Amino acid sequence: MNARAVAAWSAVCMVIVLSTSNPAYKAIVLVAALTALVSAVGLRRMRRLLAGVGFIAVFDVLLNFVSAHLGRTVLFALPDGVPAIGGPYTLEALAFGVSGGMTIAAAVLAAAPFSLLTQPQDVMDALPAALSRTGTAIAASLNLVPSISRSFASVSEAQRLRGWRPRGPRSWAEVLVPVVLTSAESSIQLAESMEARGFASGPRTAFQKPRLARSDWVVVAASAAALGGFIGARAAGWAGDWFAYPSLTLPSLDVRPLAACLLLFAPVVTWRRRG
Amino acid sequence: MATARLRHLTYSYAGSHAPALDDVTVELGEGLTLVTGPSGGGKSTLLRLLNGLVPHFHGGRVAGAAESAGLDVIGTPTRVLARHVGFVFQDPELQAVYDTVEREVAFGLENTSVPAAAMAGRIDDALHQAGAHHLAHRRLSTLSGGERQRVALASVLAMQPRTVVLDEPTSQLDPGGAALVLDATLRFKESGRSVVIAEHRLERLALAAEQVVRVEHGRVEHVTAGVAQKRIEVSRGGAAGGEAWTLDGVTAGFAGCPVLDRVNLAGRQGEVLVLCGPNGGGKTTLLRTIAGVLKPLAGTVQRRPGRIAYLPQNPTALLHRPTVRSEVELTLEWSGENERADAILSELGLLDVAGRYPRDLSSGERQRAALAAVLAGRPRLVLLDEPTRGMDLGARTALTALVARLRDQGASVVLATHDEWLRESLADRTVQVCNGGVTG
Repeated sequence: MNARAVAAWSAVCMVIVLSTSNPAYKAIVLVAALTALVSAVGLRRMRRLLAGVGFIAVFDVLLNFVSAHLGRTVLFALPDGVPAIGGPYTLEALAFGVSGGMTIAAAVLAAAPFSLLTQPQDVMDALPAALSRTGTAIAASLNLVPSISRSFASVSEAQRLRGWRPRGPRSWAEVLVPVVLTSAESSIQLAESMEARGFASGPRTAFQKPRLARSDWVVVAASAAALGGFIGARAAGWAGDWFAYPSLTLPSLDVRPLAACLLLFAPVVTWRRRG
Repeated sequence: MATARLRHLTYSYAGSHAPALDDVTVELGEGLTLVTGPSGGGKSTLLRLLNGLVPHFHGGRVAGAAESAGLDVIGTPTRVLARHVGFVFQDPELQAVYDTVEREVAFGLENTSVPAAAMAGRIDDALHQAGAHHLAHRRLSTLSGGERQRVALASVLAMQPRTVVLDEPTSQLDPGGAALVLDATLRFKESGRSVVIAEHRLERLALAAEQVVRVEHGRVEHVTAGVAQKRIEVSRGGAAGGEAWTLDGVTAGFAGCPVLDRVNLAGRQGEVLVLCGPNGGGKTTLLRTIAGVLKPLAGTVQRRPGRIAYLPQNPTALLHRPTVRSEVELTLEWSGENERADAILSELGLLDVAGRYPRDLSSGERQRAALAAVLAGRPRLVLLDEPTRGMDLGARTALTALVARLRDQGASVVLATHDEWLRESLADRTVQVCNGGVTG
């Protein structure tokens, strides 16, 4: 799977979801991202991601519901004297929160293919030549992350057996300082290893130049068409915005921006069983 | 043509007054050069000089002249020397840039502008030479330490250097993994190119070496190889006492995927129990279960009261105090024991470096400093996970004597080790840990 095609699709999903306040189009992008990921990697590998996204989205909904006491359709009310949460709880605030939660969920799921479907080197290969050294350094540093978490577990265990006990934030220095020092040393050793293999010695070549396969072109073309179609529809006034306040209204839906959003389902076909 | 020539070469690391290499004049011929010497003597500095990491990467002060693979080391940056002198480091986990084997081997070729069309063949050849061809499409995270180190060697060989330098490449590996790495190294040497290697497993290399140099106190001299590493005779303090810990039907590891399955085992006071077995067999899990840091999924673990000293696989990661002495004092303070830090520092030969920052020491000295920090005082249960990794003979001898003393004072000692020398020197009892079970 070509990281440039993934990047194109992710970017278009984000542009659409962030450029409109209409929850109908946000919902379509959210479903497209979710379906594409499920078809590529399966639900099992997505469990943690979905749990995290769900948590953040629900938090956003509740935050808006509890804090925005606007709107005419009052569901219930707490006395105004109750600090922070007192006041009317409205259907409009709930709907606006749901719309915000969908925005966050769609944006996170649109970016998720980078971590779920591509390797750091795929992303690095997709970068323009001018950024290839930076990309290599980032890919290399990502390889250190697992060793840092192992180091934390190992050091905290060993320090406990040495007699250390967590007594307030300052006591954690006895664990965190060695982990940070070890991570810094690991980074230096990695840099040494890169230097010893000629890193930054001149223009780089690439072992596997990223080529767009036909299926990648399909995703890129569909994404470009979706972007063009949606921006055009916005400019023409066909993709109307939505306002939750002061009274809740149904979001408008037009077949032309709807068709543009449906193009984002292209990866459901091309990414199937790739992950 | 000589592999390397040094003329009155003196080098000091930045911020250090004592030279790491002191007025060295030496010529390394072609073929296999074995570099020996005690920890902290300057071996790693000499090796890094050969590909320019010293002084170009590490900075510091340098005087004299050095030539490696026909190039002036001081006037040639490492990234240029890298095309002629390859370098394999000690830790296989800290030299990988990519996550897949083929890409990792291609890294040096990409850096040195090798055309893409020529890469596949060179990668294939290098993986064959390193005995890692079957790993070509694997992810590095799925490889054992020995396999990763062979991939590191392949990534250097792909650059077709005239010389390959290896800094204790097998110190982190089990005997099987180490043998495969050394086999690959010897094959490279037999292909007519030069190898310079610092290594503690001297037996096989000494037979093939064209020359042996000894590095000590920053001085380098040609020597005749002396490789006998005889078992240390450790006097016994008496018979083992009562049970110090017991595992009764213990299953441990991850739910649904236990590493230990219904293990029954016990250790006695004043006894050294050695755990053997292949990597991944469950030795570390067993040690952590005995220590109580890993709760068993089933069964019971019982221990006599008293301090536990636990040395993890990478003990130098613990070091963070300003001096070696203060590391030991911290353990004594935490455990509430009134003992002088200098006692154990003397036992492990660390008094000379007691006032130094532990992370500035050589890898062997750091390992001993970590041992001192963990084993200070009078622990009742001593659990050591591969304690001799990267240690030279002197350090191993000191460790053996220290463990024998703790045992004679009544401590129950459990060692997980591949080191036959250590096992023969210390074991009262040996058990095999394999496939989740314990036999012996």
